[in-house]
Amino acid sequence: MNVVVCVKQIPDPADPGALDPETKTLVRSGKLILDESDSYGVEMALQLVDAAGGGEVTLVSMAPNDEQSGLRTALAMGAAKAVLVSDEALRGSDALTTAKVLAAAIGRTGQPDLVLTATESSDGYTGTVPEQIAELLSLPSVTFAKSIAVDGGTASVQRQTEAGYDDVQVPLPAVVSVTAGVVEPRYPSFKGIMAAKSKPLDQVTVADLGMDAGQVGWSGAGQEIVDVSEAEAREAGTIVEDDGEGHQKVVEFLAELKVI
Amino acid sequence: MFQWSDEQEMVRQAVRDFVDREIRPHRDELEFGDLPPYDLLRKLFATFGMDAMQRESFKRRIERERAVEAGESVEAQDAEAGRGGSADAIAFTMIPIIELCRVCPGMVTAMGVSMGLTASAIMSKGTIAQKERWALDLLTMEKVGSWAITEPNSGSDAFGAMTSTARIDGDEFVLNGSKTFITNGPHADTIVFICKLDEGNPPEERRIVQFVLDAGMDGLEQSKPLRKMGIHSSPTGQLFLTDVRVGADRLLGESLDAYSGKSGKDASKATFSMERAGVAAMALGIVDRCLELSLDYARDRVQFGQPIGQFQLIQLKLATMEVARINLQNLVFRHIEMTAAGVPMSYAEASAAKLYAARAATEVALEAVQLFGGNGYMAEYEVEQLARDAKVLQIYAGTDEIQISAVARSLLAQG
Ligand SMILES: Cc1cc2nc3c(=O)[nH]c(=O)nc-3n(C[C@H](O)[C@H](O)[C@H](O)COP(=O)(O)OP(=O)(O)OC[C@H]3O[C@@H](n4cnc5c(N)ncnc54)[C@H](O)[C@@H]3O)c2cc1C
Ligand SMILES: Cc1cc2nc3c(=O)[nH]c(=O)nc-3n(C[C@H](O)[C@H](O)[C@H](O)COP(=O)(O)OP(=O)(O)OC[C@H]3O[C@@H](n4cnc5c(N)ncnc54)[C@H](O)[C@@H]3O)c2cc1C
Repeated sequence: MNVVVCVKQIPDPADPGALDPETKTLVRSGKLILDESDSYGVEMALQLVDAAGGGEVTLVSMAPNDEQSGLRTALAMGAAKAVLVSDEALRGSDALTTAKVLAAAIGRTGQPDLVLTATESSDGYTGTVPEQIAELLSLPSVTFAKSIAVDGGTASVQRQTEAGYDDVQVPLPAVVSVTAGVVEPRYPSFKGIMAAKSKPLDQVTVADLGMDAGQVGWSGAGQEIVDVSEAEAREAGTIVEDDGEGHQKVVEFLAELKVI
Repeated sequence: MFQWSDEQEMVRQAVRDFVDREIRPHRDELEFGDLPPYDLLRKLFATFGMDAMQRESFKRRIERERAVEAGESVEAQDAEAGRGGSADAIAFTMIPIIELCRVCPGMVTAMGVSMGLTASAIMSKGTIAQKERWALDLLTMEKVGSWAITEPNSGSDAFGAMTSTARIDGDEFVLNGSKTFITNGPHADTIVFICKLDEGNPPEERRIVQFVLDAGMDGLEQSKPLRKMGIHSSPTGQLFLTDVRVGADRLLGESLDAYSGKSGKDASKATFSMERAGVAAMALGIVDRCLELSLDYARDRVQFGQPIGQFQLIQLKLATMEVARINLQNLVFRHIEMTAAGVPMSYAEASAAKLYAARAATEVALEAVQLFGGNGYMAEYEVEQLARDAKVLQIYAGTDEIQISAVARSLLAQG
């Protein structure tokens, strides 16, 4: 069984991020790392391939400046190879363009049985790319997976809901987005880290994907960021003094919010 | 080598994540309670495939030794093995030491004595059968090892005042003596016991011999952990031997011929050199963590209306810590480079490095306590523990005074 995992490489969330005042987009000039959200998809893919007893995990990523660090991390975990799309022309791409580029890149990997993504990235978090990829590849899409089991040509997915989870069956190939935290991503072994250095990394440009520079980046974007403003500061909360009836007031407050 | 490679940096990050997630949460039980470190160390080994790597290199080494015994040519293998091992392989042993010492230097002591000292003693002096019987399980941390030379009345003068003896009795040896300050002593499965062979000759003429013992042997008693100043995550104890009878299969090398002349002492000395290189990596971990904590504190703690980092006396502490960190890192890099190049570090240089590293770690950790003021003296702020832990580096593996005389004697002997 062959699984493709879309992995985004993002600025380290531990460092203070910065916005480019001109373009109002996140500055991505420094070293990028594997988005933690995607480490769950990588782990799940490795487990699925293991369970199937054969096949491999291929990574697909679109990132600026030929960035490979995040891919190397996922390769060290055990993925077999990677496709990296990096091209100046991609600067300014919106979520739909990203999905088009990723869909084309997935096409280069052959015929995967399954495409995994996270439900949303940690930096852009539009949470739209997975469904767009599915539509572009004409594949069924299942979101918010907490577990996936594959049997022949069908995947059984437990799909997280507010109340619990739905059991969903989907014919393969399909695109499934994986909820963060549902598996424990493995640490790369020392051997895995050494092996990652020599695993195949297919680096391609927009033209290699048969796309036109005009279709992507700023020129291809169907959306424009017109303004960015500070999030509102949190307002001071309500303090309930407990005079013996404090619990009543808390219950009333929650009822007012329609939480209970 | 002047910095970690990309892969080494990845290893460092992965180990740091593991230590923060899996070991740091147990700091209280390890350093202020009685949790032995072995299961956590095994988890570290399994997580990063360190046990599998040990098994593979052990297998290669044994195959090579078999070939040598059979008189086959091993030149091609030697060339491939590339002198002392790859820089990566050596870095991958240094990095966990550094990262663990940022939290629990005691865990490194326990690990180093078991898979380092004890296993190395068997690997350097044992027969193939003995290596297979005892060393592999120690190298993978499956079993816990102790290396016992120190006695109540023989420490720095390890060989001179040693009273533990092996007496020949037919095909067997009868071992007697007591050992103290033995790392892992209370939990050891496998013990390398160093003593003098009593052939009826005067003690100062006796040969130094080494035996391998298993826990539970008749006449062998392992004490409870001793209470001590620091490195609580490394259990330290006493061993008492009363007429422990062993066959030649437990004599390292399985023949007394292996202990002629000074070779017994030389084998122990080789172990000292290796131990001393590990101390530089330990000191680096301690200093690195102390500096990191001190920097945060110097930025955040406000007195007299400004962060204390603005005071020159505090800046002096920070700068001194950074100088030590850079020097220690360079010592570690030098050790990696030299080992990879197959150039052994001289006894005097290893002693000089150990002396510097131990002092730097203790000084930096005590200065960190000072920088933290009253909080520095409180267990919660970590530097208190690191300062107590660092002190032992000046005592074990040869005291500072012993390193100083080794360095000076070597200088005076030249030219
Ligand atoms: C105005 C604008 C300007 C932008 N400028 C740039 C730019 O200069 N450079 C640049 O690189 N991007 C740029 N982007 C792209 C943007 O950062 C996101 O990559 C893109 O919008 C995807 O949206 P998301 O991160 O919200 O994905 P989500 O839909 O939240 O992501 C869900 C999952 O889809 C997959 N996925 C998403 N993006 C990628 C990816 N790139 N590679 C692999 N898998 C992925 C991951 O599995 C991810 O977890 C820009 C976007 C906009 C809207
Ligand atoms: C936590 C811990 C773990 C240990 N683990 C082990 C272990 O696993 N196995 C093992 O065999 N041993 C172990 N040791 C023992 C350690 O190696 C000895 O404590 C050390 O070598 C010093 O010996 P000593 O304690 O007898 O001190 P002494 O030798 O009595 O020294 C007392 C003082 O005299 C000084 N001194 C001694 N000789 C000279 C000299 N010639 N010139 C100047 N000054 C001198 C010393 O430097 C010291 O300051 C451990 C010790 C500790 C504290």
